[in-house]
Amino acid sequence: MDFYYSLAQIIGFHTLLGLSAYIVLQTGQVTLAQAGFFAIGAYVAGMLTVLAGWHLVPAMIVAGLAAAIMACLVGFPALRVRGLMLVIATLAFGEAVRLFFFNFDYQIAKGDVKIGPLGGEGFRQIRWFPENGWTSFEIMLFVWAVVALVAGALWWIDRSRFGAVLRAVGEDELAAQSVGINLTAVKVTAMTIGGFIAGLGGSIYAHYTTHIEHANFNVLLATFAIAYPILGGLRSVFGTIVAVIFVQGFLVEGLRFMGDWRNLLFGALIVAAMNLRPHGLIDAATARRLARLFGREQRRA
Amino acid sequence: MGFVDYVQAVIDGLLFGTTYSLIGIGFTLVFGVMHKINMSYAAASLAGAYCGLVGPQLLGLPAWTVFPLSIIAAGAIGYFIYLTCFRFIPLASPLATLMSTVGMLLLLDEIVVHSTAGMPQNYPAIYDGDPVEIGSFILRADLLGVFLVCVAAMAVLLALLYRTRLGLATRAVAQQPVAAQLCGMRLQAVNGLTFVIAGLLGGVAGAMIGASVGMLSPLISGPITVKGLIVTVIGGLGSIPGAIVAGLLVGAAENLFQALRNVTERDIYVMLLLFVFLVLRPGGLFATARGRD
Repeated sequence: MDFYYSLAQIIGFHTLLGLSAYIVLQTGQVTLAQAGFFAIGAYVAGMLTVLAGWHLVPAMIVAGLAAAIMACLVGFPALRVRGLMLVIATLAFGEAVRLFFFNFDYQIAKGDVKIGPLGGEGFRQIRWFPENGWTSFEIMLFVWAVVALVAGALWWIDRSRFGAVLRAVGEDELAAQSVGINLTAVKVTAMTIGGFIAGLGGSIYAHYTTHIEHANFNVLLATFAIAYPILGGLRSVFGTIVAVIFVQGFLVEGLRFMGDWRNLLFGALIVAAMNLRPHGLIDAATARRLARLFGREQRRA
Repeated sequence: MGFVDYVQAVIDGLLFGTTYSLIGIGFTLVFGVMHKINMSYAAASLAGAYCGLVGPQLLGLPAWTVFPLSIIAAGAIGYFIYLTCFRFIPLASPLATLMSTVGMLLLLDEIVVHSTAGMPQNYPAIYDGDPVEIGSFILRADLLGVFLVCVAAMAVLLALLYRTRLGLATRAVAQQPVAAQLCGMRLQAVNGLTFVIAGLLGGVAGAMIGASVGMLSPLISGPITVKGLIVTVIGGLGSIPGAIVAGLLVGAAENLFQALRNVTERDIYVMLLLFVFLVLRPGGLFATARGRD
């Protein structure tokens, strides 16, 4: 049973990662920096609980804020450019963060062992959950409570005026600008919110694995982050959650018996999915059909 | 480390930087005709170089055959990528092409890891003679070979683009796809051929990277992808002279940072260089005013 609890936790923090990219994608920006914000969240939260002895919840919030501030700072120069240039800029930022942690040493002696991040060897002993006697089931509930909060907030944003503004920028920047929307402010806000969510996800990830190192936060993770919302379709947060369950639950865990071939299949599957369904697995038409199936029309179709 | 060492580092970097120029040109060429980024390009170039190793390692051919085989294989992979990631995806959905090429990047990397069991493979040097000494500086023979081959590849490409009918068609499609079609050019054929040309160029780059590093490992493809894209941005998307200059610049800067700091930190500074350009010159070195986007 613990295996399934653990899988549910993995799906939980990957959902947060996917949702962090979801809100940025709403404004039509493709970001490969989410792995970098995820890494910042993981390291900051880990250092706060392990080195400073904080409780997990405040550590998570501070980690989220740290990632959000970083996202805001990166947002301004990066959002001067659009589209493909932004992809490249955020990709470079993500790699720069990873390399920063590859070179980052900050160790303090605790008893007779030294703890803290140590460059390429990574950051061990992030044992807040076991030290406080949490069971796997309780951790799962906690993770999904956070996911529910974040997904709920995003679901609410989707229906609010701000959500409409985000989508307006995503659909047509020129039209949005001509009705008086400040493009830079909207994009940087979306980026900052995305950074906060990724930071939360990273802090959970660090406490789930207990050992983080720079190699965990590579381009592959950044790709996962944007792959979830794109595969799920950008119409609703539920698309992202479905995509995470599909990828992590079925492709990664379900196909484990295939060994190495699983990784080959992953790339090929993305290529195939994009050829067959270029607007995501759950695109607008499918979303309408599903809504009709469950007997309620969507307000915005 | 004295001044002479730093100059030496810059010289080595400039020589190796030509490979970055080639990768940057490849990204830029595809961007020029399709207005899309082919994220799998650098991985495809290195996969081509891996394919070249099949000649000497499995078929028992002489060592030099690795170079032509790499180039041909990379050209073929280029066309394969065109078919799988661009041909059948609607032009109006840029996200889909981006994702499909990232998927292809992961797929190519995994195929390489799978077929070599993740072990680094030795790659022959293009030329191992005595280094050329100029005053107190040395030009490493292997890097000099790489430099000359890359410059030759660029010259062939420029001749192709500006002296042949195919080049004329490519430039026409890059400028005005609809008008080019009205003049009787087959859009799909030109796009496909551009991918083959970019692929061949990538094959040269992949082979030269292998030749100057001395081996190929799956770990190279990530950094080369990022640096190729940085070169493209610094040079200005769609600008071939920009990519050439930016490639040399990134190569020199990278080696200088390595001499000043160390090998694990150097790439951070290269990324910072990109951000400096984004803030001060977001359109790149050689962008036209219209292309600043």
